[in-house]
Amino acid sequence: METWIGFTSAEWQAIGLSVKVALACTLVTVPLAIAAGYLLARRRFWGKSVVESLFHLPLVMPPVTTGFLLLLLLGSRSPLGEWLESVFGIRIAFSYAAAVIAAAVVSFPLAVRAVRTAMEMVDPGLEEASRLLGASRLKTFFRITIPLALPGILSGAILSFARSLGEFGATITFAGNIAGETQTLPLAIYALMQVPGKEEATLRLVLVSVVISLAAMLLSEWYLQKMKHDRG
Amino acid sequence: MTEVDIHIRRDGFTIRVNETFSGGITGIYGPSGAGKTSLLQAMAGLVMPQQGQISHQGRTLFDAATRFSEPVKKRNIGYVFQEGRLFPHMSVAENLRYGIPQSGPGPVGFDQAVDLLQLEPLLHRKPSSISGGEKQRTALGRALLSNPRMLLLDEPFTALDQQLRSAIIPFILGVHREANIPVWVVSHDLPDLLRLTNRLLLLKDGVCQGHGNYHELLEQESALSLLGHGPLLNGLEMEVRRSEPGKILLTGKGLELTSQSDGAGLKAGDRVRVGIAATDIALATGKVEGISIRNQVRGTLNSIREVDGQIVALVDAGQPMVVCLTREGMQALQLREGMPVWCLIKSVAVQLVREA
Repeated sequence: METWIGFTSAEWQAIGLSVKVALACTLVTVPLAIAAGYLLARRRFWGKSVVESLFHLPLVMPPVTTGFLLLLLLGSRSPLGEWLESVFGIRIAFSYAAAVIAAAVVSFPLAVRAVRTAMEMVDPGLEEASRLLGASRLKTFFRITIPLALPGILSGAILSFARSLGEFGATITFAGNIAGETQTLPLAIYALMQVPGKEEATLRLVLVSVVISLAAMLLSEWYLQKMKHDRG
Repeated sequence: MTEVDIHIRRDGFTIRVNETFSGGITGIYGPSGAGKTSLLQAMAGLVMPQQGQISHQGRTLFDAATRFSEPVKKRNIGYVFQEGRLFPHMSVAENLRYGIPQSGPGPVGFDQAVDLLQLEPLLHRKPSSISGGEKQRTALGRALLSNPRMLLLDEPFTALDQQLRSAIIPFILGVHREANIPVWVVSHDLPDLLRLTNRLLLLKDGVCQGHGNYHELLEQESALSLLGHGPLLNGLEMEVRRSEPGKILLTGKGLELTSQSDGAGLKAGDRVRVGIAATDIALATGKVEGISIRNQVRGTLNSIREVDGQIVALVDAGQPMVVCLTREGMQALQLREGMPVWCLIKSVAVQLVREA
């Protein structure tokens, strides 16, 4: 078997896929979390608590349940799934996209929570001052609210990245365990655990998983410190 | 000209203001909770009155009848908050530039504003590393550069240390001179307001207790009872006759005064505002010989009132003067309305209000 720094190509595949899914998931989640966080932090609307509960549902639901609901919604036998396949020829379930969607849905509540808290900490008086200086809501949002909430947005992004790295239940239900396509690190670890005599290989992947998570946390910590320093 | 006729419902009471404002600096004075800030907020569009209308130079800003309210960002009203509200993630220069319209900053340019408010050394600093007074100057400059059609200052003296409270006054006067727009200053500190202007609007429990010239307001019972609570000050418009180191000769409407203030940079013909605390003036029934007090001004005692156990005497000495004295002092001199009196003022008590 071909190896590089002690890892087989199949293992590299799982590592690479994990990072790819986690990055894609973060890219999808963060803009949505910013919009949702702003809505919850700054606007009052009818049915807000229902929306809030819906946003947080994946946090408390068993991930398998989330995966199953996604399958019901987007699986090839669902109306939406059928339509996507007949019109665009796309099959979402059991694909790379499904792995990203599963990770995104599960990590979304964490990101929203972080962004919302950060935006609630932004003094509304500063947004008021911005509007008094002739700025539109859009300018105020991009030049005052977002920059001031940036530490929280960043921690939301890291949480989303880390949560996605660890995602297992929803992914295996909705995206399956297909090597090279949906088999991320936790799924690869799980698959290896089922094979007798693969203890060493399993441990190696577990270590990799720990290192990636740790690196993400350290990076965010370093960035937060830097930002704190820059702002005096 | 600004016309305000509004009712604003606040928890427990209603603020009713029906006044017409001309240009210049107007001091809005009253105890805390009188509705001063609400009035500013209604002007700026931050608060919707329940009734009435607001118009500025013929343009309607608010009209409850037609449910019209010009949005905050279009009102073009400069607002300086008590705590400055500078954007913490931007430097002083970025804060100043934030509100400059696409069409440019208006009559006062960026460099000119920086110069006027002495902000040059601060431009690259973050708001967290500058003092309270510097924050207020930055906030003043930021509002000025947004090319506002009027300027609202909410308690500009309170966020500062006692010593520095009045330090913002020369800058407010300078901004008013350069921008030539109406300036409304809300404060519960009467002496500081009077250093800026004699034109006052008095508010108490949401009701206007008087609006007009300070000295005329002192003759009204309701206004005097509000004004007499705190220390009284004479704010006089005067002209420099002669300026020497440590001694300035001032004249105005038949009144002549010597001041010991620092007159550096002043020359004959300059117009200045002068502040004299009402408690720094003594009354005598005749000219006093053998005394070190340099200013002895002859006038007529127009009225004597008592507010909070303090005797307030209004003297016409060419310019109206308000003098505070004790009941014993009044009785000893047998003061009566209409009699001639001499106002004795130490030259050190005649303080110039400088403009930036």
